[in-house]
Amino acid sequence: MSRFLTLKKTDAEYSKYIWGNFSATERALPIESLNVGTPQESITFEILPVSSISRPSFFKLLSRLIKWNYFFLIFIPLYYVFVKNFIYQRLFDLPSFGLAAVASILLFAGLNIRNDVFDHVSGFDRIIKSSSEKPIILGWVTAHQAHKISWIFILAAALFAIPVCYSQYEAGRVAAITLLLFFLGNFLTKNNYKHKYFSEFLLFLILGPALCAGYQVSLGSGVDTEILVFGVMWGVAVLFLLYLVQYANLFETSQSGIKNTLTHMGFDKSKTYLKTWWSLFLALWTGYHYFYGSVYWLALSIISLGLCTVPTYTVISNAGSPIGSSLARVRHTGFRLFIIMTVILVLEQTWYLINYLNWIL
Amino acid sequence: MAVKIFSPQDFPAYLPKLNSLYDDLFTGGKGFRSKLVQIVARPLKLDSDVENLLCQTIEFIHNASLLHDDLIDRSQLRRGKPAAWTKYSPEYAVLAGDYLLARVMVNLSGHGNIRLVQYTSEIISDLLEGEWLQDSVVGDFFISVPQLDRIHNLKTASLFKWCLRAPFIALENNDKELHNILSEMGTLLGQLFQRSDDLLDYDIRNYEGKVILGDLKAGYLNSFGAFISADMSRAQIDKMVKSQDLNDFYAVFSGKENFLKSVAEFDAINTEKIKLYHHYVQQLKAHLVKMSLDQNAIEQLIRVLNSLTDLLYFRKKS
Repeated sequence: MSRFLTLKKTDAEYSKYIWGNFSATERALPIESLNVGTPQESITFEILPVSSISRPSFFKLLSRLIKWNYFFLIFIPLYYVFVKNFIYQRLFDLPSFGLAAVASILLFAGLNIRNDVFDHVSGFDRIIKSSSEKPIILGWVTAHQAHKISWIFILAAALFAIPVCYSQYEAGRVAAITLLLFFLGNFLTKNNYKHKYFSEFLLFLILGPALCAGYQVSLGSGVDTEILVFGVMWGVAVLFLLYLVQYANLFETSQSGIKNTLTHMGFDKSKTYLKTWWSLFLALWTGYHYFYGSVYWLALSIISLGLCTVPTYTVISNAGSPIGSSLARVRHTGFRLFIIMTVILVLEQTWYLINYLNWIL
Repeated sequence: MAVKIFSPQDFPAYLPKLNSLYDDLFTGGKGFRSKLVQIVARPLKLDSDVENLLCQTIEFIHNASLLHDDLIDRSQLRRGKPAAWTKYSPEYAVLAGDYLLARVMVNLSGHGNIRLVQYTSEIISDLLEGEWLQDSVVGDFFISVPQLDRIHNLKTASLFKWCLRAPFIALENNDKELHNILSEMGTLLGQLFQRSDDLLDYDIRNYEGKVILGDLKAGYLNSFGAFISADMSRAQIDKMVKSQDLNDFYAVFSGKENFLKSVAEFDAINTEKIKLYHHYVQQLKAHLVKMSLDQNAIEQLIRVLNSLTDLLYFRKKS
């Protein structure tokens, strides 16, 4: 039997209920919130016995917690760096590279969980009701438990990263600068590092040039122009995904006073912005392939991506309402375009790898 | 309980068409919103002039929205009579709606409670935003229930919230916690009313004889339509949209029995909302007790507020 409980942020019990450590036998699921992100915030919780919540399998819980479906964002640069340096015969420190890869996977998992915890505590997940299964919202785990799990992942990542920093000093420097910017972003932003202009820049930097450069220096190969250009290109692509999400949630975020690039632009200008941003990516893609790729792959990829871009631009242009299903369609089509791009990228790198192996064998 | 909302003397005698239009518009309405204002105002012992002003305000806003709504939706009938835009002209319907909203501001500002003027202006802008958004999703048969809820919060629930909050604001009671509770109650009442109204389109509890499948044929997927189509394939949605009558519609579900099962599921979800509403009513009671009002008046108010969900969602007239 469930019951409702409304608590204000100023109530002594509030913290226990939002973190979920008020009881071992019950869960508090927030169902209504008012004045989110303000001192007047109040939440109505549905209090349910833990036994009434259907528990998923361990693997389902883990994959939803760490957001396994987004791991390609770190796997693609990892694969790229490996192939590039394999062909250039610069795999100087493979053990460190392996450790860096494991550390990045653990860190990404830990930060994804931490992000869900932050969204839950800050109230962001009550403004933007995600269609995907979020373990904390569903009561599979409490925010407190998730927070602890995230620290386990982050500390494990640190354990793997320490030997890398020890053997490759440059990797330590890249990690230190990235961490510094990350914490700066957390302290500077009022709501959430995802929802500010600086945080968008941080995301670009961390998942783009910093990640790619970090992988490469862990190999002992140093930083070169090619890896930086690729990092910038990848960062621009990742930001395109973020802008698609921002666009899909434009109405809710605008109503809630959350500020990001697309709420600043508004509904109509955002369409132009999304198309311009992807065009910027295509320009970088062309430039990168012109200088560092083969002419064959430049022609093939540009034709393929160009053909896939046209329907995406059409869907974006045709979005008629800031609240209907057209926004989800824009997001879906944009994500599909991104996936096609990553498939082309993987095929291209694999092609270079096979060609190189054929040549040396 | 009846309150005189409309009097020809309120409007210029040299605009006979305007008076005639308002005569048509205001007769036949149930005046539910003004009654809700009265229900809340009475235990607060609000001055009768202020109470009348609030009742008139909400009915003027509501009727202005109907004038505009009928024109936007191209609805031919309102309360069983030709809609104003068909009988007079679209231009007159727009002007008459605007005139009502202007009168609201004139009357309220004359009262002098600036917080009330500000809040009422917010509600009017919410209403217009909701109307605009609703028009932008016509023809969208993939819209979700939460998205429609957001539109209904602006278009329908905002007025319910006003009915509950305005009497307190008129008394200059601006306690944030109290207004949070009233806002939540208004939001839930508005959503329940809208969802019940949307069910009428599928002839569920349609005691008033509302046109069947009117929303769907006009290209508008309402909340119940969005609920039942959430798990449908594109082909099923196509078939649903092309339904000419209820038999066509039931065929999408392979029979009326399956359709009624979906109605029961929808009712179950809304029953949870009703439970939540009653939770807020209890919270309101605790607040009212602290305000040292007459205990009997509080009990009566709470009883009436609790019974509203039966009236608004299940259409039970007790």
